[in-house]
Formats: sequence, C-alpha cells, structure tokens
Amino acid sequence: MIGGKNVLFTLAFALVPAIASAQQKPTKPAKKPSSMTGMPGMNGMPADSGRRKPGAKPAPAMHDTSSMAMGSMSMPIPMPAGMPMIPGLVGLKPPVGEFLPAKGVDPRTLPLANPTQIARLKDGDTLDLTAMLVRRVINGRAFAMYGYNGQVPGPLIRVPQNATIVVRYHNRIDLPSTVHWHGVRLDNRDDGVPGITQDSVMPGGSFVYHVHFPDAGIYWYHPHVREDIEQAMGLFGNVRVDSPDRDYYSPVNAEQTLVLDDLLINGDTLIPFGKDAPDFALMGRVGNVLLVNGEPRYSLTVKRGAVVRFFVTNVASSRTYNLSFSGAPIKVVAGDVSKFEHEERVPSVVIAPAERYVVEVAFDKPGRYALVNAIQAINHYAGEFAAEVDTLGFVTVGATPAAPSYAKQFATLRSNAKVTQDIDRYRQYFGKAPDKRLTLTVSISGLPLSLPLATVQFMNVDTAYYAPVEWVDGMPDMNWLSTSKQVRWIIRDDATGKENMDIDWHARQGSVIKLRIFNDPKSFHPMQHPIHLHGQRMLVVARDGVRTKNLVWKDTAIIPVGSTVDLLIDASNPGAWMLHCHIAEHLGSGMMTVLRVDPAEAGGR
Amino acid sequence: MLGGWLGRVLLAATVVAAADRAGPFDISLFNTQNAPDAHGQARLVFGQSPFGVAVTADGRASYDVRITAAGLPDPSTLGRYSAYVAWAVSTDLSRWDRLGTVTNGDNTVGRAELNKFLLVVAAESTATSPHAGPTVLHGTSPSGWLQSFLSHPLFRGIPP
Repeated sequence: MIGGKNVLFTLAFALVPAIASAQQKPTKPAKKPSSMTGMPGMNGMPADSGRRKPGAKPAPAMHDTSSMAMGSMSMPIPMPAGMPMIPGLVGLKPPVGEFLPAKGVDPRTLPLANPTQIARLKDGDTLDLTAMLVRRVINGRAFAMYGYNGQVPGPLIRVPQNATIVVRYHNRIDLPSTVHWHGVRLDNRDDGVPGITQDSVMPGGSFVYHVHFPDAGIYWYHPHVREDIEQAMGLFGNVRVDSPDRDYYSPVNAEQTLVLDDLLINGDTLIPFGKDAPDFALMGRVGNVLLVNGEPRYSLTVKRGAVVRFFVTNVASSRTYNLSFSGAPIKVVAGDVSKFEHEERVPSVVIAPAERYVVEVAFDKPGRYALVNAIQAINHYAGEFAAEVDTLGFVTVGATPAAPSYAKQFATLRSNAKVTQDIDRYRQYFGKAPDKRLTLTVSISGLPLSLPLATVQFMNVDTAYYAPVEWVDGMPDMNWLSTSKQVRWIIRDDATGKENMDIDWHARQGSVIKLRIFNDPKSFHPMQHPIHLHGQRMLVVARDGVRTKNLVWKDTAIIPVGSTVDLLIDASNPGAWMLHCHIAEHLGSGMMTVLRVDPAEAGGR
Repeated sequence: MLGGWLGRVLLAATVVAAADRAGPFDISLFNTQNAPDAHGQARLVFGQSPFGVAVTADGRASYDVRITAAGLPDPSTLGRYSAYVAWAVSTDLSRWDRLGTVTNGDNTVGRAELNKFLLVVAAESTATSPHAGPTVLHGTSPSGWLQSFLSHPLFRGIPP
C-alpha cells in the first residue's frame, strides 16, 4: 500500500492496473479533440439549458460536458469540453459491477415524482415516510430514481422547536437503507447509522424513528447507506424547525427552500454506480446537470423590492457551490444549527455538501436575476484557472413594488444576543490545547505503472498543486476509475496513529472538546472535506490559527486542503456519533470514525 | 514523446520538487541583487468569511497575505524610497494590486484575489505611490505549480 506523503508519482496510476480485469483494448486518443467544443452540452438537452459561460473561451469552457467518442468506442463518462481523456485511460472501466435503480424496469411504469410538499407536524404527530422508486424527467429524459413519498426532494417537514415526532419509515427501494436526521441533536438510537445505532432496513422492511428537534433552523434527512447511490438518486428532504419566537428571523416578503444537487448524465443515461463499491472515489461524483429542488431550472417571481429568505441545503455528493444572484445584495443570517452572532453582507454563498445556510436577498430592480454558481475551475492541460458559471435559474422581479417594504429591515444587520450569550459559555475553551488532533489523508493500493511516461509526468506535475477547494472534477475519467477498492480516505488520530473506525475516541457527556483537524496537502490526492459530526453541535473557532470573528453553531465544516481547523464540540448528547466526510464517495471509502459520548453519570474518559 | 533516461530524469526532478512543496498556502520569497541579504516567506490565509472559505462572487480565492521578512535594508539606501510595498501581480504583469507595507518581521499586508499571481516586494517612494521602484523580494503563488502541457505531443491538438 502506498501511504500519503511520497506518493506523487506512484500514484499516477495506481488505479490503472486494478482495472485491468475490466480493461478493454485501448484506443488512440482523439486526434481532433477540438471537435468536442462544438457539441451541445448534453445530448438531447435544450440549447438553453441553463448553462452559460459569459465570455467563455473554447478551452476554459470546461463545464459543458460532452460524451467523449474515442474511435469506435463510446466513452460513457462526460468529459469537460476541451479536456480529452488522459492518454492510457481510454477504454478502461472501474473494477466494479454497475448499479442503477430498478434495472430493467421501464421508467414509464413508475409513478412520476412530485415536487416536495410541506408536512406540518405538531409535537407527538406521526409521519409515514416511504423510500420508493419514482420516475423523474430531467431535460426531457425519463429516469428510474428514488424519492421519499414519491417526492423529490422528500416532504418538507415543518415542526415547532422542541417537538418530537414519530416517523414510520418504510423501505420500498431495491437497496438496504436507513434515515439519518442530519444536524438534529436527537437520541442516539434514532440517528440512522447502520452498524452503530441500528441495523439496515432491508427492502420491504420498516423502522420507527422518534425524532426530537431541540434547535430552530433548517435540517435535512437522507439515507446513511450507500449515500453515493441512494442520496444521489433522490433520497433527501428538509426539516424546518420553527422557533416560537416570532421575531426569530427578520420579516421578509417570501421564503424559499433551495435544495442543491447535481446528477451525472450522459445523453439518455445516468452514469451507473459501482455496485459492490463506490466509484469516483478520488473526488466524489461531480454531476454535470445542476439541479435546484430536483429540477434543472429554478424559477421565482417576486415584486420589486422584495426581500426573500432562502433556506439553502447542499445535498450533492461532492460539489461545493458558490452562489449569487446577479449582484443582488445578500445577507447571511444562519448556518447549520443556529443563527450567526451577527448578520453579514456577503458577495456570494459558499456551501459545501451537507451544509445549510439561511440567507436573505433583496431584489430592488425589475428584471431577471440569474441564480448562478460561479467558480474557478482548473484546466489541467492548460495549467490555468477557468471561470465557470452555471445558471441554476432565475428570479423575475416585476415592476409593482412589494408591500410591505422590508428594505429597512434588510439594510439592518442584526446582532443575535442570544446566540452570543449561548456561545459565551464556551469562550473559556477557545484557547485551550486541542483534546484531539486528526489528520485527513488518503492511501492508494494496488497500482500499476503501465501508463506512458509522459502521462505519468503530466500527472505528477499536475498534482504538484492542489487548490484548497476543488469546485469541479477536471479529470472525471481518472476519478471514475477510482473505487473504494483502491482508494482509502483516512481520518488519522495523530496521538495513536489509528485510523478511521479503529480510533477509540471517548468523551464525557457535558465536556467541551477541542478538535484540531489538519488536511494534509502532501497526501496523494488531497481534497477539501466537509466534515460532519452527528448528534452534537460545534463551533469553528479558528482556521489556520486565525480566530473566527462571527460564530455560528455547525454540524458540518469544510476543511480546505492544507488548512488546520479548530472545532469546539459541545459534547452534550450521549451516544455513539459518527464523524465523517460528507463527500459520499469519501465516506464510502472509509473516511469515518466514531465519537462516543459517555453518559455523565457513567463517567467516561 | 519523452522517453528513456531524459524522461526519467525529468520525472525524478518533478517528484523531488513536488514532494518539497509546502502546501497550497505557502510562498517562498527570493531576493534580488537589490537586497542580497533579504529573505522571506509568505503565507496565504483565507480571509474571514462566514462560510470558512473566502472567495469572490466569481469564485476566486480571497486570501489575507502574511509576509515574514528579514534582511531588508533601509529603503533609502536603494534610492529615493521610503517604504517597501507588497504587490500581488498578475502573471502577465498587467495588474499590480497594492497589498500593504512590509518591514522586517511579521506583516499582514492585505488581501490577494488573483488565481495565479506573483508576490513582489518593492521599494517605493511612499507607501501609497504607484509601483515604480526596485524589487527586493519576489515569489509565486502556489498555483504557479500549474503547468501547461499543451505543447506536449501527447496532448497536441487541445484548444489553447
């Protein structure tokens, strides 16, 4: 096995041999890759599919993906425009079986997925939640996918703060599953983690969850089994927990829930998933069709001057977004588990997988505001950054003024004294030495060196730099071939050297844990990791030695490559709680551990 | 195609160089003949952001630049200069963003929002003067590791 530090070149292709069994006869690289740039972004997609590249040059327009034809061989992975496959990889396939939901079933026989519906529940109410096969139509193509209660996203559950509801879950999909209540500080037995808090619910089976919601805000639920498949295929939904304080948020003209997702599609087909192990293990599966609330185009109409509050959740497997609204002013109000100490104006909203943010946006002038994801991709061949803008939808603003006007309230940046007072109790711990130090890294095993030397050189030199945040997958061919059979993502305990589930980590209920996480930039393929801790809340108190000025309670925090992040965990909730990367394929490649919070009366270590 | 011993030598050099890289936030500063005893390091730190990762609306990283310098002579010894100023400079030298003044010791000089850039410390007439003076330290953002392969036979034909 190859460990992290000295692997730059071994790597290159560690992956290639392992795939030998699935290897087909390689073909020559395309002679005229420039022909790709003239292809539509997606076969069959309408010309105006929401993907726009203002001023895009041919090469940097990386994100318009095209299926890559290599001679007579059809390459199923869409490559970014202007990016050929890496020489030597053509014709290879990951060494795993293929899986798609309801294989062999005509999608037309499945019920059409409905948009999300609101399920308003009171304390003590019961909800039946069924994971089921649905038919989704995306850009005119029908696919067999999953949904909760026939909806994508699943029902928007609205409950009052401190309510407890009963959820009778029924698994009617073709895989084992569970439901994890992301960010909710609930009883451990209801956390939905197979092997830790419950057994998987087999197809046809059921499970009853009692879910208590102690914190106001926006949360979500999703499976904790093969998230790379089940979540990606549509099993996700939000929970909005309403504070009894009617002034909890500022008054606005409208509220919207935005669930961000992406799908990897090539023409008429979804790219299959690894049946016995996740593929796309290096970077996670980064889709080429961006979705909002399950649809490729978001649309909202408001009156002039309207202030809209957006509850944003990133349910994508791997993609981190950078959202904005054509320059409309944005105010960030809340994060995962609480409001911020102070509201802030922001140029855009950066949201990693599993994170949530509550933002308010003022639409002052009539017209159309594009909701865009604007990032800087890396063109690995040109060695340059390439601006990439995806339009996710539009907010149309009419000429009629909104009434009442909340312009004054929007202009005011609130300070949330209750949040600050709550956090004040923990400030005494900000400066203490870390109780636990973890390093994030990766190992690759089973490798070959059969690629052309120049290709190896290219890979080596290219991997000499990794952006702190990789926004898109610039090498989907290599990424696709990597599976959890070769790639093992690692959380390493610095003190013991133990890794992932071998780490023996205990804390006493009521303790405050300072956790320092370092994302090793010298590992073979470093990448940012959205680290999620179940069942507790935490503060990001410092990044790279710089204290955070405006705090918010979180359950998921992005750890950029090369960064050191200090988290302060309020270990108030007893039980065995997972800490893991929320890139689904990283989780599926082992990047998880357990924090055991022992009941106060039982002592603990 | 590169091959044989030449290719392997290049490969080895690449690997050694890459293995020594300090990470995506560190910049080594090199002196010039204007200040042969000067040396320094720079560190890029994400600016404060409620999201943990500070970027511009178009996705460029937004870094606070910290410079630790030593051996800088009094700027007046280089001519009619009164300050050292750090600049974030686009790689085509067309854009010079003033970051702030630099002295021997630790300095947090300002915010850089370029994908790839040169970090230049130059003696200037004043702390606010346009750039005109001699360079004493310079380095390259870590993203400078990105190289173009478009001229390589393997990749020939890819649009520039």
